[in-house]
Amino acid sequence: MKQLMRRLALPLLALAATPALAHNPMCECTEHGEQITCKGGFSDGSGAPGVTLDVIGYDEQVLVASKLGDDSTLTFKRPEGEFYVLFDAGPGHVVEVDHADIGAP
Amino acid sequence: MSQTDTLPPSGLKQLWLKWRFHLNILLILIPLGFMPKYFADASLFRGDSGLGANIVEGIQVGRWTLDLAELRDEAPRAEGPAGYFKAFNAACTSCDEGVKATYLRVGKPRSLRAAGTIFFGAPARMGTSLPIPPRTRPDADIWITIEGWDGKMYQAAVPLAKASPATAAWLEKQGGNK
Repeated sequence: MKQLMRRLALPLLALAATPALAHNPMCECTEHGEQITCKGGFSDGSGAPGVTLDVIGYDEQVLVASKLGDDSTLTFKRPEGEFYVLFDAGPGHVVEVDHADIGAP
Repeated sequence: MSQTDTLPPSGLKQLWLKWRFHLNILLILIPLGFMPKYFADASLFRGDSGLGANIVEGIQVGRWTLDLAELRDEAPRAEGPAGYFKAFNAACTSCDEGVKATYLRVGKPRSLRAAGTIFFGAPARMGTSLPIPPRTRPDADIWITIEGWDGKMYQAAVPLAKASPATAAWLEKQGGNK
């Protein structure tokens, strides 16, 4: 048993060393009838509760100004006309989702 | 006067006993093969081999002039669930005065909030990782936005095909299908 442990120690340690993960913002929106649900997060798998998520019209009018809930999602009624969803985790850490890209899951 | 006669080791064992020492030397030599790539990377990241590939020089943004280059002459890299990214470098020696932040985006930004990805690092060599939406048209422009301390936005556009021919070719191949 001890022998086996010794042999496996190095491969196991090598596997335990996880590579550095990028931390890019992500946002996905899906449509359920009249409602749109957006889920924010980061590419290393972490969630984004409390991060600003705004829905902005093409005329730059903010239609919905909100923040993501504890489950990193926000549900809102689909606004009239053309708009985009802005996931805003700070300058340079934004994701835009155009209304044309929001469809049923 | 040994009590037992030692048996001669089997052929395979003999080979192992004879050559195992030389195997150590081979193990030292293997990393040497990776040295050229290591030094090339180190010099690229340090800036000794220039800003990058396909440098676009003298882009006028407001009262500043900057150079833009892709880090490597290659197609965008997939970075997990966040999509495809392309690393760009920029140099702006005059940017030490009046510039609050510099951004890069595929297509014209709608507002300062959505100005794109932010450049970090010293003005003489700053870098950013630009997300490339797979449905981007190959003839798209990439927009550089400088946010001044005066609160104003200064912008300039460079054709993506000029800043990164490999990215334009990659988008052409995708054919807007993704």
